[in-house]
Amino acid sequence: MSGEEEVPPRVAIGISFGNSNSSIAYTTGEGKAEVIANEEGDRQIPSILSYVEGEEFQGTQAKSQLVRNSANTVAYFRDFLGQDFKSIDPTPCHQSAHPKEHETTIAFSIRDSESETPSTVTVSEITTRHLRRLKTSASDFLGKPVTAAVITVPTNCTDAQKEALKIAAAAADLEVLQFINEPTAAVLAYDARPESELSDKITVVADLGGTRSDVAVIASRGGMYSILATAHDYNLGGSQLDQVLMDHFAKEFLKKNKSAGDPRENDRSLAKLKLESEAVKKALSLGASANFSVESLAGGIDYTATVNRSRYELLANKVFASFTRLITGVVEKAGLDVLDIDEIVCSGGTSHTPKIANNLRAAFPESITIYAPATNTSSLNPSELAARGAAIQASLIQEFEKEDVEQSTHPMVTVTPHLRNAIGVLLISGDESKGKFKTILEAETPVPVRRTVHVTTPREGGDVLVKLCEGLREIKVTKPEPKPKAEKADEDDEDDDDDDDEDEETREKVWKVSKPLAEAAVKGVKKGGKIEVQVNVSADLEVVVIAREVGGKNEGVRGVLSKPDVVENGKA
Amino acid sequence: PVLPDGWAGTNNFKASGTLSAPNQRNLEPVGPHFLAHARRKRHKRTFSEDDRI
Repeated sequence: MSGEEEVPPRVAIGISFGNSNSSIAYTTGEGKAEVIANEEGDRQIPSILSYVEGEEFQGTQAKSQLVRNSANTVAYFRDFLGQDFKSIDPTPCHQSAHPKEHETTIAFSIRDSESETPSTVTVSEITTRHLRRLKTSASDFLGKPVTAAVITVPTNCTDAQKEALKIAAAAADLEVLQFINEPTAAVLAYDARPESELSDKITVVADLGGTRSDVAVIASRGGMYSILATAHDYNLGGSQLDQVLMDHFAKEFLKKNKSAGDPRENDRSLAKLKLESEAVKKALSLGASANFSVESLAGGIDYTATVNRSRYELLANKVFASFTRLITGVVEKAGLDVLDIDEIVCSGGTSHTPKIANNLRAAFPESITIYAPATNTSSLNPSELAARGAAIQASLIQEFEKEDVEQSTHPMVTVTPHLRNAIGVLLISGDESKGKFKTILEAETPVPVRRTVHVTTPREGGDVLVKLCEGLREIKVTKPEPKPKAEKADEDDEDDDDDDDEDEETREKVWKVSKPLAEAAVKGVKKGGKIEVQVNVSADLEVVVIAREVGGKNEGVRGVLSKPDVVENGKA
Repeated sequence: PVLPDGWAGTNNFKASGTLSAPNQRNLEPVGPHFLAHARRKRHKRTFSEDDRI
C-alpha cells in the first residue's frame, strides 16, 4: 500500500455496531474520546432502518415506525451478517421485517422504494446503508469526510462474520482499520482516561445488551490485555426486562379493561407496549418511579399507570439474578476465584440498571471496584464504552499503513507465551514456608517482559539475600464455627481454625511459594536501604535478574536463569 | 532476608530453577502498549534497544 500516489490523510472514527444500538466516537486533539450525537441528538443510535413511501429513516425515527410500519422496518440484524440462515435465531425480529433465506445469505423483503412490490434487500446491503448513515453523521459533525473506522465486535465473532462486515463497510466507502473485541474496547476506554494508572489487574467486563449479554475475564498486564474466558447468553438482556414490564402493564390493563382484549395479542398494541415499556425501564434506571402512558393501547382505550423502582426490581428479580449468575460463572470458567478479580466494568445499555450493579456488589468482595453508574460515581457511561475504546484505537493506528496493522494483528504477533505462575521475591525470611512473597510479575503476564521493583531489606542492612521464586495463589478459608449459609468454600485448604475470630467465615488470598528460582547476594547494604530487583524474561523464558542497592555504588548482581528444557505446551 | 553464613554462588548469584511451562494465549491487539510490543516483536528488538530509539 506504500504506493507513490498521494493518499489524503485518513479520518478514522470508532464505531460500536450493535444489534439494538450503534454509536460513533472520535478522539479530540487532546486525545480524549468523545461520542458523537447524530442529527437527532442521539448518542445511542438504534440500529433500525425503516422505509415509508421510498424514504429511508434510521435510528429513533425508524424505531417509532415499528408500530405503524413494522413490515418495512428492519431491526436486530447485526448478528445475521455472515451467517447461514439455519444458524440464526430470528426471534428478536418477530415485530419487524422477518429475515428470510436468500441464496447463501439472509435478506429482508421490504418496500424500500416507491413501487408497490417489495424488494429483497440482503443483510449486507442493510448493514451498508446503516454504516453509511453513521459515517455521514460523523462526517457532518467533524466537518470532514470520514474514511476509516475501527469497529467493535463480540469476542465470538467468526472470521466469516468479520469478512462480511468488512465487505459491507467497504460498500459504504468505509475502510475498516481493525476489528476489536467489545470487552477489550471497554477496558481500553477506562485505561485511556488520564487519571487511570497502569497496573496489573484482572477485569471482568459485563457487556449487558438488548438481546444478548457477553461477559469476558481480561488479564491486564502492563497495559497489555489477554482474554482468559468468555461467556455469551443470547437469551438474556434488556429485552427480558422489557418483557417483565410488558407483562406487568398488560395484566394491569386487563384488570381495568376486561373487555378490551390482551394488548400482547395484537401486533400494533404489542409494539406500543414494548416501546413504552422500554422507556419506562430507562426512566426507572434514573428515577424512583416512572409513568407508563400509551394512547389507544388496545380496543381504542388509552392507558396510563405508574410503577416504582422497588416494584420493578421485585418483578424482575429472576432476570437480575441471571445476570449475576452469568458473571460469576465466567469467573469460575477462567479458573479464578472472586477474590482474584480487581474490577468489574459494566458495559452496554442494560448496565444502567442500578439493581444489577448492586447485586454484583453483594456477590463480589468489598475491595472490588465496580464501574457502573449506581456503584461508582467516576464510572463512564456504560453505553459509550465500546465506541470510545474503538475511537482510541482508531486514533492510535490511523497513521499506520494497512500492512502494518495487518502484520501487527497477525497471530505470529498476538500468540504469546504467558507466565503460568507469578514470579516474586521472598521477604523477611529465607525459609519458604515462613517468608512473605512479594509479587514482581503476576501470573498470565505475557513475555517478553521487563519489570523492576524495590524491595525493603532487613532493618540493620548488611549483606542481603534476594530470593527469587515462583508463587501460587491460594484461597485460605478461615471459619470460626460452622455456619450453613457461608459462602462457597471451594478449596479444601483446612487451615487451623481461628477460635477468637467471631465473624463469618473469611476467605483470603495467600501466596504459596511453589518453586525457588534463584538467589542473589547483595553485600554491604546501608541501614534501611532498598534493593532494586529487575527481572527480564525473554520470549523463550530465559530470565535475567539484576539486583542492586538503590543509590548504592556497587555494580549489583546480575544472573541468568536458562530457559526451561522441555516446553510441554505443544505449540511453543 | 539476611545472607546466611557460608552462602556461596558464582558472582554472588545462584540459579536454582527455571520457569514453569507457559500458557500460550492470544494477546488483544489494542492499546499503546500492545502496539509497542508488536513493534519490538516485528523488528526483533529487545527492550533496551527499543528504549534507545
